[in-house]
Amino acid sequence: MAEFSWNTQSPLESALVPGHHGVTGTQVGVTLEEVRDISLVQVMTRRGRAAGTAKAAKKVFGIEPPTSPSAAMGRHATLIWSGPDQFIAVSAQSAEDQFAKLSEAFAGAASLSDQSDGRCLIRIGGPRVRQALAKFCSLDLDDRAFPPGAAATTSIDHTAMNIWRGADSTDGHAIFNMLVLTSFADSLWHTILDSALEYGVQASLAHAA
Amino acid sequence: MRIACPFCGERENGEFTYLGDASPERPNFAVDGRESPDRVEDAFYDYVYLRDNVAGVMREYWYHGGGCRSWLVAERNTVTHEFISVTAAPGAGAASAVRAGE
Repeated sequence: MAEFSWNTQSPLESALVPGHHGVTGTQVGVTLEEVRDISLVQVMTRRGRAAGTAKAAKKVFGIEPPTSPSAAMGRHATLIWSGPDQFIAVSAQSAEDQFAKLSEAFAGAASLSDQSDGRCLIRIGGPRVRQALAKFCSLDLDDRAFPPGAAATTSIDHTAMNIWRGADSTDGHAIFNMLVLTSFADSLWHTILDSALEYGVQASLAHAA
Repeated sequence: MRIACPFCGERENGEFTYLGDASPERPNFAVDGRESPDRVEDAFYDYVYLRDNVAGVMREYWYHGGGCRSWLVAERNTVTHEFISVTAAPGAGAASAVRAGE
């Protein structure tokens, strides 16, 4: 009988090759990284319980969940709007069982679904990030239309996606976070990488802090 | 063609699925059927099978499956493809639509 060994591994285990890709030289137009060790909880308000959900969120995260497409920084977590009366709480994975804690806090007001191993978080930045994204993303990612804190639930390259803009990098470039279902992560990674090769890509691996 | 989802803002039509005419109302068999079963049968035939072929503005169901997964009702001109309005479908789950950016 075949023996199975179950390992936890990233969906980008083989696709992600850290280092420089694309144009020769050291030019880096786009930075591309996978953020591992995230805790991800989808929160969906029950009918007529929006006030209770907001109150519970305020208690746990110190902020109310966003009611329009945006991302808000709370205590130990970022809350990302993902549709009417629903949001995603992203945080760094911790030793304690965060899901149980949240389930208790939102009991009766919202339904929770642990998506920690169901999604892959890809972060893309750099001076040419918008040119690269424009090749496969139909959203207007200009500063005026998509400022820091903006979020969208959309399809990118026919792939369901939650995208939001975090704080700019220290050298002033926009950073976009993309949450994608794990089974699509590999194909999306290649799409992004291929689209960005002409600008020079620095690929790396990060751990949620 | 771009569609302004009341929750997400303007998106390309590829994110949406068209269901059809939003005007037909399901006959209430429990209420109307007691009085005249034949009339209800006709009403159901009409509701299930018959559709108007409108050249102009009609109310349509659209599903934002590539976005916030909300059911929407849109008023669209079938001749020009102009969208006159897009609102959340009644009973779709959301308490109220908050326009993107507000």
